Amino acid sequence: MSSPVLPQRRLATLPLLRRESIGGLYHVLTFEDPDGSKALPGQFTMVRGAEWGDAPLLPRPMSYLTAGHAPSILIKVIGEGTLRMGRAEPGEPFTLLGPLGQPWRAPTPGRRAVLVGGGVGIAPLLFLARELAAASGRQPIAIYGGRSSKDLPLDDDLASLSELHVTTEDGTRGTRGRVTDVLSDLLGPDHEVFTCGPDRMMAKVAELCAARDVPCEASLETPMACGYGVCLGCPVPITEGGYLYACTQGPCVDARRVDWSRADHAPKKGAAHPLRTKP
Amino acid sequence: MTSLAVNVGTLTLRNPILTASGCFGYGLEYDDFYDVAELGGICTKGLSLSPRAGNPPERICETPAGMLNAIGLANVGVEAFCRDKLPVLRQRGVTVVANIFASSVADFVTITERLNRETGVAAIELNVSCPNVTEGGIEFGKDARMCGEVTRAVRVATKLPVWVKMSPEAGNIVAVAKACEEAGADAITAINTIRGMSIDVEQNKLRLANRTGGFSGPALRPIALRIVWEIAGAVSIPVIAIGGISTTRDALEFMAAGATAVQVGTANFADPSAAKRVLDGLRTHCENRHIDAKALIGCARG
Repeated sequence: MSSPVLPQRRLATLPLLRRESIGGLYHVLTFEDPDGSKALPGQFTMVRGAEWGDAPLLPRPMSYLTAGHAPSILIKVIGEGTLRMGRAEPGEPFTLLGPLGQPWRAPTPGRRAVLVGGGVGIAPLLFLARELAAASGRQPIAIYGGRSSKDLPLDDDLASLSELHVTTEDGTRGTRGRVTDVLSDLLGPDHEVFTCGPDRMMAKVAELCAARDVPCEASLETPMACGYGVCLGCPVPITEGGYLYACTQGPCVDARRVDWSRADHAPKKGAAHPLRTKP
Repeated sequence: MTSLAVNVGTLTLRNPILTASGCFGYGLEYDDFYDVAELGGICTKGLSLSPRAGNPPERICETPAGMLNAIGLANVGVEAFCRDKLPVLRQRGVTVVANIFASSVADFVTITERLNRETGVAAIELNVSCPNVTEGGIEFGKDARMCGEVTRAVRVATKLPVWVKMSPEAGNIVAVAKACEEAGADAITAINTIRGMSIDVEQNKLRLANRTGGFSGPALRPIALRIVWEIAGAVSIPVIAIGGISTTRDALEFMAAGATAVQVGTANFADPSAAKRVLDGLRTHCENRHIDAKALIGCARG
């Protein structure tokens, strides 16, 4: 498959247009971009408060939720950077470096898209769902899961754009269980899966798709310092040996390329390796 | 009209602002941002004899006003660099400092000999101070005798200027710098990262797969400045400063301490144009004061 021509990257300082608190730890941040972001679905931006000074030092990689003159991101407050983003007021300047990375591959004609997401992984899938709706093709199937009803940000938006199945592990919304339980039941040979969420979830999704020979595209999430290919901090193990870099070769990749058995199954960003002195 | 040019031994740089190895790729990732040929130079990602895949994830994590990295010298290898990267850099007129790494003196020499066959390499920077690999690396850099030996071997093998990048973990870094000077180094680069560690106490897990990683960023700056001051006072070859330089003010601080040139490292991550920004500010500073960049070197030393 030939690579799409990617939009030019730029570093722009943009004021926050609005911050919507959408329950729990989740917020949608929308920025004002007079030049308009040309981001494609699946691409990401490195976001940092322009007035943060020396700490937090690094920008945070965030998938675009929308592009255009009001680009937006979905955040979950998990650390110092997202804490500040979750408190930001309109007018506050942020630097956005983007659009970065490989977008979702173009949906294959004749295959029905199945979007499988968990938590904030919904952002690039919603962007894709809107593109699919604009292309007025067949509505995609979406399977969206979380631990509980509180972990399903923007589920209403997704419901309006897809045939939505919701799962929660505690049964407080939709089907009790995991997204892969539902996927296993409904995955058909003429489907094409797009997935974004925790590594463990995507590993299972990839496994199901591979077993049934259904194409599967995964959007990878890893820590990154730069987002544009120089820090080499975002390696993802691949089946052919070695690594691909999530920032430039991803974040959207053919799920079969990823060696999920060696991929980091950390439940939370930045936490990876057992401290051996602790049982 | 002020001049920003500085001399690092026999090599004249168009200005004193360079980018640091490991923080700027191969200089070809910046087309969307600015023309890197404007810089005093770029130091390549550390080149080894054979390509290296690098360490498993996680390789990086953030710390207060800094970060840790344990990339493990992932690089394309000197051959692919000469074949795929250098011709483009050369054609664009970029001043290229090839940062090289090996686990033996013989391999340092072999890489140097490969680079000798190319035009467009302005200098060789010896990485004798990587904290993230199990052999070679920092073991050379901690020891004055070994560091001198590597420097001498490369010195004999090439006509190119040889810079040696110091480890802050050397017991007596001034002694190591002097040993390199005596062995024929043209410049001392100081400093490389310092080994650090971070633990996620929610999960009682180390954040880096390599356990430790090199600490860089603004938090490192005062330590780097102190070391640059000490080395600049002890050797007569130029010192090229590195350590948390993010702004023109930081660059001026290191030059005032005696640095002939500076390298912008971690700051490139958040802002791909960081080095260009530092350079533009330096130009304005010199023009406003009607001074040449050379006048800044060591201006705070008595």
